[in-house]
Amino acid sequence: MITFWYCVVSFMLIVYIVLDGRNFGAGIIHWLVAKTPEERRQVIAAIGPLWSWHEVWLVGFGGTVFAVFPKLLASAFAGYYLALFLILWCLILRGISLEVGGHINDRMWQGFWDFVFVIANTLLAILFGAAAGNMARGVPLASDGTFSMAFFTDFTPRGYVGLLDWYTVSVALFAAVALAAHGIVMLWLNIALMVPIGISQAAMARVASLLGQRDVDAMRHAVLISLVAGGVASIAVGALLVLGSDSLVRLTLWSRSATGDEVVETACGFFRFCAVTQLFSGLVIVMASILRGLRDANAVLWLVMLCYWGVGLGGAVLFAFVLGLGGTGIWLGITLAFAFAVVLLAVRFWRAIPRLRTSLAAE
Amino acid sequence: MNSNLSDPAFWSRFQFAFTIVYHYLFPQLTMGLGGFLVYWKWRALRSGDEKYNQAVRFWAKIFGLNFAVGVVTGIPMEFQFGTNWSEFSRHAGGVIGQTLAMEGMFAFFLESAFVGALIWGEKRLGPRYHFLAAIAVAVGSWLSGYFILVTNAFMQHPVGYQVGGDGSLGIASLSTYLLNPWAWIQFAHNQMAALVTGSFVVAAVGAFYALRGLHSTQAKLYLRAGTFAGLIASFLVAFPTGDQQAKIVGRHQAVTLAAMEGKFKGGPMAGVAMIGQPNIAAKRLDNPIEVPGALSFLAYGTFESYVHGLDEYPEDTWPDNIELLYYSFHLMITLGSIFIALMAVATFQSWRGRLQSSNWLLWILMLAFPFPYIANTLGWMTAELGRQPWLIYGLFRTSEGYSKVVSNGDTIFTLIGFIGLYFVLGLLFLYLTGREIAHGPEKETDEPQTTVSTLGEVTL
Repeated sequence: MITFWYCVVSFMLIVYIVLDGRNFGAGIIHWLVAKTPEERRQVIAAIGPLWSWHEVWLVGFGGTVFAVFPKLLASAFAGYYLALFLILWCLILRGISLEVGGHINDRMWQGFWDFVFVIANTLLAILFGAAAGNMARGVPLASDGTFSMAFFTDFTPRGYVGLLDWYTVSVALFAAVALAAHGIVMLWLNIALMVPIGISQAAMARVASLLGQRDVDAMRHAVLISLVAGGVASIAVGALLVLGSDSLVRLTLWSRSATGDEVVETACGFFRFCAVTQLFSGLVIVMASILRGLRDANAVLWLVMLCYWGVGLGGAVLFAFVLGLGGTGIWLGITLAFAFAVVLLAVRFWRAIPRLRTSLAAE
Repeated sequence: MNSNLSDPAFWSRFQFAFTIVYHYLFPQLTMGLGGFLVYWKWRALRSGDEKYNQAVRFWAKIFGLNFAVGVVTGIPMEFQFGTNWSEFSRHAGGVIGQTLAMEGMFAFFLESAFVGALIWGEKRLGPRYHFLAAIAVAVGSWLSGYFILVTNAFMQHPVGYQVGGDGSLGIASLSTYLLNPWAWIQFAHNQMAALVTGSFVVAAVGAFYALRGLHSTQAKLYLRAGTFAGLIASFLVAFPTGDQQAKIVGRHQAVTLAAMEGKFKGGPMAGVAMIGQPNIAAKRLDNPIEVPGALSFLAYGTFESYVHGLDEYPEDTWPDNIELLYYSFHLMITLGSIFIALMAVATFQSWRGRLQSSNWLLWILMLAFPFPYIANTLGWMTAELGRQPWLIYGLFRTSEGYSKVVSNGDTIFTLIGFIGLYFVLGLLFLYLTGREIAHGPEKETDEPQTTVSTLGEVTL
């Protein structure tokens, strides 16, 4: 029973970190990437409607730990007292900046809340990272199950141990770097997907109009052409991404700093997977639009959800944590999810063709 | 409250009290407004009259702002069980954690999923589903309230638990725990009080528009609904829910009832003090004016009933701040009686069709809305001060529950941080709410600029 609950709690934490980690990443690089207020609003819009959903996982995680492992909660929350309140205040500030920033259409108002958003996200990534560092190292529990440590120390390699010392802060900076790198790759991935999205819109319109004309053969033809076009465009963009990964990352960061170099190195590694990922995700977009053109939107939703949540999340956990591939493993999982989605959607379309034929003939 | 400033329990209590009083300013309005939204949406569905939809659109925005602030101020409450009350969590987390987790998983989930649909989804959902969204939001907010009140009821009157091998508490019967009679009575009392807050706020906005000569159709709608619901709710808060609440306190926390009423000596034919100051040092109520036999009757059903006095209990089981408890309780009852009177007059005028022309009454209604917030706060202070010196009544003392490893300095630091953060949050909330009220219910607002982009939908 305890093992079961341990798995439930770990699962909730992982889901939260995967979902919100991307938000941290996007938040940290927010300023570096989005130059104009319009672009910044777009980045926020990608997070905005979903952030409270992501927060639900954190609240659920906290509540479940409280119910199932009260002693863990008691020791950890009291021991990490100041660090936890800083996390809490950052979460509050981030929530306010997302909710309030878009409320008034004014440059200064939005600029200020963008600033709050970036600072809160950066601090959150570092503090969560420091918590991971403390957990990896372990804390000195007294016999009554409590522990107490200084919040920060003199930052010497052999100095006192504290919640924020040279060890935990370097773990934390690594966490911030990794999340920022994920954020950069996601951003370019989105831009790279512009071409397949254009193709998909055209395909959807074409399929819907052919459905109206009851021309199944032409429909099949149109689907094949848009898949090939989407594939070619995606491969071309993918090749560009791999070849130009270094300069793309630098372009995104635009200022070179010490941490900048580390971000570049990590992000370049992710870009190689990203090229494959975006090939599949481009095809998913095209296929999904085609099925939507056939008014099959519900099936698309369920299939894609199954792939993302089942295959994607499961695969990411398996590769990243069980097989120990780290950040690369998460990208592998995501790629696998897209590949599965393409196959399932394509199968659904080809199996629908005979049925379409008979039903159209019957009319 | 034991105000020894070097006592760590004092600072943790002070911080919890401050953050929860502030937090509860927001949910009490969302729970109260939930009923209005469902009612107006239902009227709109039945009559097709656009004014009801306008009212829903306007109040859903106010609801959304309150909900957002309620969420961000609610998360610290869950945190503080671990940070400041870790010994309590270690002892009772296996029980109270259950309902807190359920609140997050079911009720908060439901509410946060449908608030967006209620505010932005009217066109996409169509009237029928939009009505269902309003119901889901109202049910979610009330369900949230119930889970929190079950948690509180366990601290007031523990049931359904067992003591484990290491002395910590666990659930023996989940249904007994969830169906705690204390929780039902307190829930009914509390929800009616939330409805009073909602009614007063709705009526106050109506009065504001009426006095300004703005949005006259909407003003009339708010005044009618606000005063009528306000009268019913104000009455139900007192009877039967408040009455039952006092009776259950008398049954399970007799010493608390004695302290609430300033009864130092027990006896039959106990009176209710209309006026009087508790004098702890001399152990008596100074210059009281009493209604003889009223307390015996109210608490136990007959005038002859014996009411226990504080002198029958050891002093270390007395609530530790009897003055504050006594005044909170009495002020709450005074305010509650004024609410009934005010709303009765306003409903009468509204029924005669004279409310919108009686300026003096509109002024009173407009300025009265803060008082239900005060009365709600006083009610909770009565409940929680009355529970002292216990954290879980009769089982676990407050002095055992705070985090031993957290120093006073840490707690004072975070308390000051909360005061600062909440001050800014309050300013923002008032500014944004004021904007919505100034904007008014009748103009169309711009479409929301944030929608999930195709990109965001595809990439995870």
